[in-house]
Amino acid sequence: MNIAYSTELICFLILSAVIVSGSLAVVLLENIVYSAFLLGGVFMAVAGLYLLLNASFVAAAQILVYVGAVNVLILFAIMLVNKKEKLKPIKGLKTRKLISGGVCGGLLILLLRVSITTKWNLPGPTSIGEEATERIGEHLFTDYLLPFELASILLLMAMIGAIVLARRDISISTGDINDFKNKKSLINKKIPLLSENSLK
Amino acid sequence: MGELLSFQIFINEPVELLNLSLNAKAVLPEAAVLMAMLGTLLVDLAGEKVSARWSPPICYAGLGTSLILLIMQWNGEIQESFLGAFVADNLAIAFRGVIALSTLISLLISWRYAEQNGSPIGEFAAILLAATLGAMLLCGSTDLVSVFVSLETLSVASYLLSGYLKRDSRSSEAALKYLLVGSAAAAVFLYGASLLYGISGSTNLKEIGISLISAPTPLSALALVFVLSTVAFKIAAVPFHQWTPDVYEGSPTPVVAFLSVGSKAAGFALAIRILVGCFSAFDTQWKLLFTVLAVLSMSLGNVVALAQKSMKRMLAYSSIGQAGFVMIGLVCGTEDGFAAMVLYMAAYLFMNLGAFACVILFSIRTGSDQISDYAGLYQKDPLITLGLSLCLLSLGGIPPMLGFFGKIYLFFAGWADEQYLLVSVGLVTSVISIYYYISVIKMMVVTEPKEASDVVKAYPSIEWSMKGMSSLKVALIFCVLVTAIGGIISNPLFNFADSAVNGTPLLQEAITLASKSSIG
Repeated sequence: MNIAYSTELICFLILSAVIVSGSLAVVLLENIVYSAFLLGGVFMAVAGLYLLLNASFVAAAQILVYVGAVNVLILFAIMLVNKKEKLKPIKGLKTRKLISGGVCGGLLILLLRVSITTKWNLPGPTSIGEEATERIGEHLFTDYLLPFELASILLLMAMIGAIVLARRDISISTGDINDFKNKKSLINKKIPLLSENSLK
Repeated sequence: MGELLSFQIFINEPVELLNLSLNAKAVLPEAAVLMAMLGTLLVDLAGEKVSARWSPPICYAGLGTSLILLIMQWNGEIQESFLGAFVADNLAIAFRGVIALSTLISLLISWRYAEQNGSPIGEFAAILLAATLGAMLLCGSTDLVSVFVSLETLSVASYLLSGYLKRDSRSSEAALKYLLVGSAAAAVFLYGASLLYGISGSTNLKEIGISLISAPTPLSALALVFVLSTVAFKIAAVPFHQWTPDVYEGSPTPVVAFLSVGSKAAGFALAIRILVGCFSAFDTQWKLLFTVLAVLSMSLGNVVALAQKSMKRMLAYSSIGQAGFVMIGLVCGTEDGFAAMVLYMAAYLFMNLGAFACVILFSIRTGSDQISDYAGLYQKDPLITLGLSLCLLSLGGIPPMLGFFGKIYLFFAGWADEQYLLVSVGLVTSVISIYYYISVIKMMVVTEPKEASDVVKAYPSIEWSMKGMSSLKVALIFCVLVTAIGGIISNPLFNFADSAVNGTPLLQEAITLASKSSIG
């Protein structure tokens, strides 16, 4: 066992421990802010795993997208909705937890068993390290051109949709008279289609 | 194999990349839809009034061009385009046609609805067109990555559309439920896809199929289950159907019309691509799983529909049952089976959208979608009564409507392939379905004028001059006419379904395999 190998092994073990314990804590902790920060830690550790596998581009993308965007967004959402609210206790929460725990445990055992019994094609293709970015670009403009272009449409549509959902239909009155008039006229103009009698 | 080899060489030598032919012609119909989408967005910049004036013609032009281009592709030379990411065989063209037509009809019936709700029209049309684009590309995708991206385009657009009525809390609830369940399904699909990539080292469905045949492992069975559950989610097969009734009830009705036809057609096309094209090594397994799904969908969908009081919920459960019928054709795997599937999808397009057009017209005039409110409608509004009756009879499979021929062809194909369990369950449940379809008709036609519901008693005078009503009328009459007359002159549809199967190499391979194994 040479030094390179043992360092790699130690790094792998540490990262895996962080990932497993971190994700368990994300699910089990009561305080949602802790969960969100721990989720960031888990994402970072996953990026570390990618680095160990010599996939630096994927690691950078993981940090940029998941830690930089997704996790920060989650934290924003939590801090904006900082409302203390007593949630109603759910009936039979314990049995529900037990059942879902059982299902997840079963799935885990299934996955473990399958991954042990499968003859993996090892060792996989040799990693190309720094060339990866170049190769990804090549793929994006050859055999993955169609999904690449479609992704731009997906993002455009998602952006428009987010604006549509976030836009206020009825302006909230700020005490201004004009504002108030607008609000009234908007309400008068628009008749809700599904009126009360349809909810009977 | 020669193609694969040369493909490898191209990838290894970047200089050669310039000589690659993409065959981008194959996605011209999608390009037309994309142009219409961008057009509506640009017009929308000029304000709501201009957008309401110009969005409809732009959408008609885009979808019409797309349909014409699809017709021109029919029976054309089949070439892999985008280096194996997309193929425009007849099967893909048929399903893309169904999707484009369903969007066109959904748009026709949506203008008045959107106007009355006060929702912005331009964005609505743009998002619906994006959903169409995703669904159409999904039908022809032959690569896991493009399958996933187009699936997500369709799904994200559907979530947005179902939450479009922001002031109705049920619409928001529908969107949130759909988003959560749909994201879980997408994650499961990705897991399955990553396993497939790990097994085969390729994302191309054909290559994955080849490597699955050479080395079937327990892992690939697991991947099959994961991928299949996503497909079942998309076509709303029981037990992956829980989202359907809530989403259908809460979403705007034109969106439901699109989801029940366009999105479902895309799901079936995906099922054929992945299961027939990629999992041929697990033929017996996936057919068994689909038999279970089909039996459950037919029985649960049709039985629960009996108890529904809301028209939209009833149509939701009936669509679950209808998906079960279509699955019979998929399980058969014979030439007749696939042809019956295509035929029934086409027939379902007209009858279901016709029914939705009537439901929308009724809700525009009265603001209700409760079944009991339809009582005695025939005296006030003969058009809705006639149209809804014909479409529901057709959905139930009463001759001589279009639906009868579709259903009988499915059962015939199933019987010929010795799927006795499926066919008998199908027959029993379609009798049940006739009961609840007829009870709506009975409610509308037979009820005495005195017993008419309050809503019908206060029915407004029939008015077609309002904005967006004429297009609704056109769509309604078109769907009802095709449903009623299509059954009598159904020969072109049969020819269409047959040549859809004959012009698809993928299906031909599967059929020869199936016939070989049955002889041997």
